[in-house]
Amino acid sequence: MDTAITTCSAVDLAALLSSSSNSTSSLAAATFLCSQISNISNKLSDTTFAVDNTYLLFSAYLVFAMQLGFAMLCAGSVRAKNTMNIMLTNVLDATAGAISYYLFGFAFAFGTPSNGFIGRHHSFFALSSYPERSGSDFSFFLYQWAFAIAAAGITSGSIAERTQFVAYLIYSTFLTGFVYPTVSHWFWSSDGWASASRSDNNLLFGSGAIDFAGSGVVHMVGGIAGLWGALVEGPRIGRFDRSGRSVALRGHSASLVVLGTFLLWFGWYGFNPGSFLTILKGYDKSRPYYGQWSAVGRTAVTTTLSGCTAALTTLFSKRLLAGHWNVIDVCNGLLGGFAAITSGCAVVEPWAAIVCGSVASWVLIGFNLLAKKLKYDDPLEAAQLHGGCGAWGLIFTGLFASKQYVNEVYSGDRPYGLLMGGGGKLLAAQIVQIIVIVGWVTVTMGPLFYGLHKMNLLRISAEDEMAGMDMTRHGGFAYAYNDEDDVSTKPWGHLAGRVEPTSRSSTPTPTLTV
Amino acid sequence: MSCSVTELAVLLGPNATEAANYICGQLSVVDNKFIDAAFAIDTTYLLFSAYLVFSMQLGFAMLCAGSVRAKNTMNIMLTNVLDAAAGGLFYYLFGYAFAFGSPSNGFIGKHYFGLKDIPTATADYSNFLYQWAFAIAAAGITSGSIAERTQFVAYLIYSSFLTGFVYPVVSHWFWSVDGWASPFRTDGDLLFRTGAIDFAGSGVVHMVGGIAGLWGAFIEGPRLGRFDNGGRAIALRGHSASLVVLGTFLLWFGWYGFNPGSFNKILVTYQTGTYQGQWSAVGRTAVTTTLAGCTAALTTLFGKRLLSGHWNVTDVCNGLLGGFAAITGGCSVVEPWAAIICGFVAALVLLGCNKLAEKLKYDDPLEAAQLHGGCGAWGLIFTALFAEKKYLNQVYGDRPGRPYGLFMGGGGKLLGAQLIQIIVITGWVSVTMGTLFFILKKMKLLRISSEDEMAGMDMTRHGGFAYMYHDDDESHKAIQLRRVEPRSPSPSGAKTIPTPV
Repeated sequence: MDTAITTCSAVDLAALLSSSSNSTSSLAAATFLCSQISNISNKLSDTTFAVDNTYLLFSAYLVFAMQLGFAMLCAGSVRAKNTMNIMLTNVLDATAGAISYYLFGFAFAFGTPSNGFIGRHHSFFALSSYPERSGSDFSFFLYQWAFAIAAAGITSGSIAERTQFVAYLIYSTFLTGFVYPTVSHWFWSSDGWASASRSDNNLLFGSGAIDFAGSGVVHMVGGIAGLWGALVEGPRIGRFDRSGRSVALRGHSASLVVLGTFLLWFGWYGFNPGSFLTILKGYDKSRPYYGQWSAVGRTAVTTTLSGCTAALTTLFSKRLLAGHWNVIDVCNGLLGGFAAITSGCAVVEPWAAIVCGSVASWVLIGFNLLAKKLKYDDPLEAAQLHGGCGAWGLIFTGLFASKQYVNEVYSGDRPYGLLMGGGGKLLAAQIVQIIVIVGWVTVTMGPLFYGLHKMNLLRISAEDEMAGMDMTRHGGFAYAYNDEDDVSTKPWGHLAGRVEPTSRSSTPTPTLTV
Repeated sequence: MSCSVTELAVLLGPNATEAANYICGQLSVVDNKFIDAAFAIDTTYLLFSAYLVFSMQLGFAMLCAGSVRAKNTMNIMLTNVLDAAAGGLFYYLFGYAFAFGSPSNGFIGKHYFGLKDIPTATADYSNFLYQWAFAIAAAGITSGSIAERTQFVAYLIYSSFLTGFVYPVVSHWFWSVDGWASPFRTDGDLLFRTGAIDFAGSGVVHMVGGIAGLWGAFIEGPRLGRFDNGGRAIALRGHSASLVVLGTFLLWFGWYGFNPGSFNKILVTYQTGTYQGQWSAVGRTAVTTTLAGCTAALTTLFGKRLLSGHWNVTDVCNGLLGGFAAITGGCSVVEPWAAIICGFVAALVLLGCNKLAEKLKYDDPLEAAQLHGGCGAWGLIFTALFAEKKYLNQVYGDRPGRPYGLFMGGGGKLLGAQLIQIIVITGWVSVTMGTLFFILKKMKLLRISSEDEMAGMDMTRHGGFAYMYHDDDESHKAIQLRRVEPRSPSPSGAKTIPTPV
């Protein structure tokens, strides 16, 4: 790949100089001038790589911070007796995901050249001869890894509080190592059959699907996988009582929920704007201040506005619906706004992001009501939030993508948002994306969860569920605020498997009031 | 870099125009790429600084949560989430325009509503996002003063007004290129030939937030039980030291975006071809910030050990933050050793303001008015005493005869400008926010009832208690019942739950 900023030809220059003096010295002069210019050109090329890699790496660290955010959100949203379990799943998503994504996930996603379905170039497996001739660098791998583990993290929320740890390990490896990379190949690689950045110009509907940072690729994949896990294993004990009424199983710490939500918000500034991958690119010679850096900033602004609007809309809607203010619901609404804008953040105007966020809030409220009606239990509302708002985000992009921005971000003269006068082709591609993701994740993760269920590897026993998984499977309660609570000083017998009475309000040990 | 073809052709001799064109063409390509690179680098720098300032919202949310009683946790955290959310919308619609719309008059801006015409050669989306993060910081500060006893509707109203109007106008005066007291003013005279020097907002952010909080807390009065019938002060301790420390460290972390980021650009050379450039000043600013906070923390540690007889992490955290609030005004224009003095005095200022508050029976759950208002004001004065001429010229442009720090030999004009800033901010915020809080009180929209205050706002207005460590902690029927507790000064609300996270 020719990365020189400019190429100075000594021969050409000498010919021009020689008309003014004798030809030997003009060749020497030309060589000198060209080598000077060439030095500067090389240094500029170095600078471009350094700047772009710095930008992408720090964006990757931000996306990684979302793992921490999601861990805290999950912890705060479940009951105290299952805290250690859910946090361990979040730690393991990241660590197991690193290995499986390194070994083959990245290759399936971005191995090139390959076919439209899946990547298969040998040099990408275990990064064997990467990054030579790939057009990207380690920063790109790390960035994509951070995305992959985000998807797996989402799913863990749907099946929290009642799933065997072994099942987490299996589904997580499969999702991060195969199911997710395949989807990202379709929509993000230069070979993918539905990708908007397809290099051979054979774009789906002349457009390709536009999912800039992954409302579909990440959020819908995680959410639909979670949907199947939660459907197959059924609701938590006590979530719906005998007459079918739903009972809120409240999380144990609102502080952790808010902490997690803000950390996710913080990390989203790597997730959305970082998806440009590079920042050093001018767009308009007549306006030297306008370039990809402006688009990056604009993307951070659309992201912010969508989340803010979703939060405000949820605040007032829930005040009307439930009669009081609720910070937990506002946090979930906020995240739904982010999940939705993730698809079109780079290609819409800031005012459109306000529309996106307010609709996302209602989409989430609507899906939650539907879930309640269908007796579907999702401790983190993950399928409703990531699946539902993710799908809305794809449709939103099909409606509001602006012509100027689509053509800047994805070169060429393309279809754009329906409501902006761009016709229906982009919207059609978005709808195809929704259908295809739902289908693919269903036929891969659905049977996996069903198989685990049939092998009795999915759900924990009712006794363990009542006692709480921390006590029965993770060595003890997560919290010990008073010395009497601290079981580490007690004889070993108490750590044996306990069969607690199956009452709804059983409290596992630390009632070792000594 | 501009390559003049005609000049070069003359030097190259007759018939050299084409050669000259070629050479100039090559250099021009290189030049344009440099220009692109500078924008990319500066935008990256500013955007990541903005993300850091945004993380201070999280820090303040955790600090607030840990500093209030458990029964009000959800309420205070919701106010912090809403500061950011409502601030996003209103600052986008008109706050940024009031602050930085240009060209405008000296009082208020009048362009860029809804980011119309952005990006320009001088303002891009990254500038907006950075300034938004600052605006919501100011509103967050105020919520600390009125915590534990304020109706949520009052929060929404004051926060929108502060972020959408009161704060932007102040930032216009001191930070825009049109502001009457701004040191960046491009046309017309600078105030006292210097303008007020408030680099990252000891006055514009911290004093504004602190004075607004002062009026809110003063008008609605102290929390029940804070001062007993004999006038003695009773500590209403926060429910989690861990959250306080978490929040403090996150604020420290974010301050590295707040102070050094206020340069807005990093690729500016002070002497071309050498290592001397704005990147050094950025680093130096991070160092002065660090030293002020550290010194304030240590001073507070030993100060409180002497005064109250024990070590106290939550006081040290507050002292640390006071050091940061103070150095914020002059972080870029003082030497590192001066930052140590700044932090040392800031700790003493905070201790003094707290003593005064206790004497006057003023109750501020986060000590926000004392810390942000008091240490912020000290920070402005500190700048007037210690600002270095060479740094002022680097940051604010070379002006011969520029006033600088009094103790550095620069005369008293800068101190005059800083005092004006303190007076004007106090006056403007008092007139606007004081009036607003008074109106809210008269309309009975400000303070909650004493029954709700005793029960805790989470139970009565936010759907339930924030924490539930054991399954049988919450009898499900208890949500939202109004409880009338005995009016004892002890902070135990309805539950005796073990102290949570």
